[in-house]
Amino acid sequence: MITMKIKSTEIVDTFAEAFKMSGTRVIITAATKQWAMAAAQSMTGFATSVIGCKCEAGIERELNAEETPDMRPGVSVLLFAMDADGLGKRLVERIGQCVMTCPTTACFNGLESDTTAIVGGQLRYFGDGHQIGKVLGDQRLWRIPVMDGEFVVDEHFGIQDAVGGGNILILGKDQKTVLKAATAATKAMCEIDGVILPFPAGVVRSGSKVGSKYKSLIASSNDAYCPTLRTVTGKSLVPEDVNCVLEIVIDGLNEATVADAMRVGLHAAAKPGIKQLSAGNYGGNLGQYHLYLNKILEAS
Amino acid sequence: MSLKLSLHTKPDVPLEAAVICTDKLNGANETAIAALTVFHGNDQTALGEFFTVKGQCDGEIHIEGDLANVKHLGSEMTSGKMIIEGDVGQHLGAGMSGGEIIVEGNAGNWVAPEMTGGRVIIKGNAGHMVGSAYRGDAVGILGGEIIIHGNVGNELGSAMRNGLVVAGGNSGDFTGVNMHAGTIIVLGEMGIRSGAGMKRGTILSMHNADMLPTFSHACTYHPYFVRLYLAYIKEQGLTIDDAQLVGNYQRWVGDAIELNRGEILLYVN
Amino acid sequence: MTFTTRIVNGKVYDPMNNIDGEIRDICIEDGRIVESMPDDASRIDAGGMVIMPGGIDIHCHIAGAKVNAGRKLMPEDHRRDPHPETAFTRSGTGGIVPSTFATGYRYATLGYTTAMEAAVPPITARHTLEELDCTPIIDKGFYVLLGNNIFLHNLLREGRHEEFRQTIAWWVNATKAYTTKLVNPCGDEPWKGQRNKNITDIDEKVDGISPRIIIEAFVNAVNAMGFPHPPHIHCNNLGHSGNYKTTLETMRTAGDQRLHVAHIQFHSYGGVTGKNPTSKAAEIIEYVNQHPNITCDIGQVMFGNATIMTADAPLAYVLRGFNKNKWVNADTECESGCGILPFTYQEHVYTHTMQWAIGLEMFLLSEDPWRVILSTDHPNGGSFMNYPKLIRLLMDKSFRREEMGRVNQKAIAKTALNDLDREYTLNEIAIITRAGPARALGLKNKGHLGPGADADITIYDDMDDKEMMFNAPRYVIKSGIPIIADHEFRGDHTGRLLHITPEYDQSIEETVKPFFESFYSVEFGNYAIDDSYMHDHEVIQTTKTS
Repeated sequence: MITMKIKSTEIVDTFAEAFKMSGTRVIITAATKQWAMAAAQSMTGFATSVIGCKCEAGIERELNAEETPDMRPGVSVLLFAMDADGLGKRLVERIGQCVMTCPTTACFNGLESDTTAIVGGQLRYFGDGHQIGKVLGDQRLWRIPVMDGEFVVDEHFGIQDAVGGGNILILGKDQKTVLKAATAATKAMCEIDGVILPFPAGVVRSGSKVGSKYKSLIASSNDAYCPTLRTVTGKSLVPEDVNCVLEIVIDGLNEATVADAMRVGLHAAAKPGIKQLSAGNYGGNLGQYHLYLNKILEAS
Repeated sequence: MSLKLSLHTKPDVPLEAAVICTDKLNGANETAIAALTVFHGNDQTALGEFFTVKGQCDGEIHIEGDLANVKHLGSEMTSGKMIIEGDVGQHLGAGMSGGEIIVEGNAGNWVAPEMTGGRVIIKGNAGHMVGSAYRGDAVGILGGEIIIHGNVGNELGSAMRNGLVVAGGNSGDFTGVNMHAGTIIVLGEMGIRSGAGMKRGTILSMHNADMLPTFSHACTYHPYFVRLYLAYIKEQGLTIDDAQLVGNYQRWVGDAIELNRGEILLYVN
Repeated sequence: MTFTTRIVNGKVYDPMNNIDGEIRDICIEDGRIVESMPDDASRIDAGGMVIMPGGIDIHCHIAGAKVNAGRKLMPEDHRRDPHPETAFTRSGTGGIVPSTFATGYRYATLGYTTAMEAAVPPITARHTLEELDCTPIIDKGFYVLLGNNIFLHNLLREGRHEEFRQTIAWWVNATKAYTTKLVNPCGDEPWKGQRNKNITDIDEKVDGISPRIIIEAFVNAVNAMGFPHPPHIHCNNLGHSGNYKTTLETMRTAGDQRLHVAHIQFHSYGGVTGKNPTSKAAEIIEYVNQHPNITCDIGQVMFGNATIMTADAPLAYVLRGFNKNKWVNADTECESGCGILPFTYQEHVYTHTMQWAIGLEMFLLSEDPWRVILSTDHPNGGSFMNYPKLIRLLMDKSFRREEMGRVNQKAIAKTALNDLDREYTLNEIAIITRAGPARALGLKNKGHLGPGADADITIYDDMDDKEMMFNAPRYVIKSGIPIIADHEFRGDHTGRLLHITPEYDQSIEETVKPFFESFYSVEFGNYAIDDSYMHDHEVIQTTKTS
């Protein structure tokens, strides 16, 4: 059902079904922007979907020296998992393996919250007894001796409730047009603070549905949007003239930022050749958040 | 409105005025405050004999006059703010656990011994034993911040276990003697025997210093955590060069007669 | 000031005179207890109260050079526990090792009126006498350390036993002591002369003599001279696992002659040296039960802060390694050694719980309370201020069980404490804190309330909570003077020194003198304390038998 259009692109009257997750923000600083980015990219690798990666992570943005605790260039990273415990474990793994290992870096908590995970307090044992704890105001830091000097990491990282799985679907006439629209959308969405797009360059082609004909699989290809199956399944949502569908998934620290990101994404993706913009959901029974495209667009 | 205490009679001998503390004066009226007991030497007398009392304490006290002979101000303070518009005597903020004391002038010996929290700021100089343990005790301050803009005497931060002690100027001998942990920053020069007997903790100075033979030079490097501390005290109004912020520091490790886990970091110009 | 009064309606516990909780009148005149007095004399109504003789501490460390060093070592302890003056008493400082004045007053507030300082090297006797003079209210005396004395060792080595005996008598006279004290005999010299060495066996020879030879010589000499209190011994191997064998051997060495074993709890450990101790309380107390010539005090450990203060210098060296705190070690010329350090007994620590339990086991297995006396070896096992709590542990089974629930269960399980249901009666408490120590010390005028006894009297409110009861006597009367009335200080008193003056042949001085001139920092002529130096004192008679 179509009740709204942006230029020539139809906005399907549906909603993105998003989930309650736990999220945190990690600030990585380094001697140069490049080293900070190297650590951040490493840390956010293999973190596209909780289904296979146990967490979802992405780079939120680059930080100038004036914005970071130790006044060095940095990158902020958002990390999401299904619960606070899991998030704490992922932080320890990923900071330990990807940030501590990266030359010149330091790693700070970027989220004030009453709920925290102990990260530096775990990683300190790498110091084998030579680690040094420091307390400055309310902040507790660990200094772990490493071969280029010291790795400085916060004891606690703040954790808050977050929203994962916000999304938009871009349905267009061909792959080239849809890719172009998706790239424009991700570029616009990355300007929003507090959200990340966990998939490669922010875009996912293997959208999934819940369940499978195979008992061992909890998710399988979202056949309703596969253009090759338009006439096969009988439940296809791919209109005629649409030959490619791409999805952009958004995780954010709260519902409003996810909605903001979806809105700018929808506007940026509404280009000639894009027939429809839609969103993925599971009938509304699984996710705690229902982000209706019409409402999001009206709210602007 | 806040409470204002003005010294009208200078005490001949030290006046022990531990009652002058936000926690003890909150809500009391002028007459009641003036009647509170203070010790002038070993004479028990009333606060009003020395101070003019104006207003009521709502968590903030302003004190003016030459208080160099007034001791124990703000002892055991837990919250609020005391502003002292002049010099102040010994044992300021002894055992305080919270709140803030600001002294516009100089402070005597024993600033905030056995402190566990809160903040003391001295705009002038301070005496010996700032942020230290009392004699006989193995442990000094357990937390809090003491920021002296000027020079300090001997045994700065002795036996401290936690917290931050900063001297904007020079410090005397035995800076950080016997310290267990915590951070001491001296922007000026330190006297001799810094860090003697230290177990853990950090002493940071912007000048070269004479090292005890029980300290060993480990390396010269750029400790990132120092940036956080320097940025923090810069916010408190102390002068930090950008070069110090990004510069290299010699790391001396000691005291070898103890755990050998402490460090003295000296800025390399 | 004399004070004449009649105490009426109180329940009297006077075990020496076989009075066990009877309502009796006690009459006081001129500092003594008298048979009767006129009806118009002033009265104290002790209705609902318990009357006992004043308490006697047979073994504590309250005065002298090492105690003072202990005070100086811990200013922080004093700062936290000021002892304010009252209209009648002076101020002081408290803590584990209180100042002299506070010591006297605090003993009085527990109803104690006599205390014996247990270890004074002869050369510090003058200092000790000055401090004891400034320890108010209580009567006091001290035991002089002679067990590691080089001169006496030399005499024994050469077999000069008669001169040995004369020299002991000379030394006791020269110092105004009450008896001789042996601490880890033979242990200090190897410690002082060789690197960190201690003696581990009672028959181990050091330069030709062994602890056993020394103990035997002292037991023979002191018993022969009829000192009111026998040699007071701190056995070898204090605190070491497996030391109970040494303790048994020490007691056997005495044969059937009198011997007092100090803080016996610290000497009743099984197991292997260097490993966790086990309890040998039953073995040790069995020997004590069977041998009426032996007296002992327990040296109970109480949880919390204590100060190790001992002439056993090698022991202090071992202990200083445990808590890495400040410590003192000293060499007292040719006479002794000394070690001092702050210490904390903690409930969760296996060894500390074991020590606590062994002390209690010994109390509860003792068959003759007259010879098993209450002490904490103040301040070594804890302050004497713990006595009321200790009394409650002995008198109140359910309280004891409650406390047992809070300590190291592994240790408790290895003791017999769970099977011991004994509860001390008030009469037995009166024995282990009054009559027993008086008898062991040979103090005929103390520890009882019969006519002629010193009017040292404590009156407690009869309460169910024995800790509260013994913590705050309602009245304390010392030498007939009301010191505490209605829990408040009402008077002060100097107290007197108790000492002995055994006879000796003056010519022994010619034997001793050359040694002094060669090896002492003090001239022989300046060494002995002459009578003009004495303050208020009382000579207790010796009963010479040979």
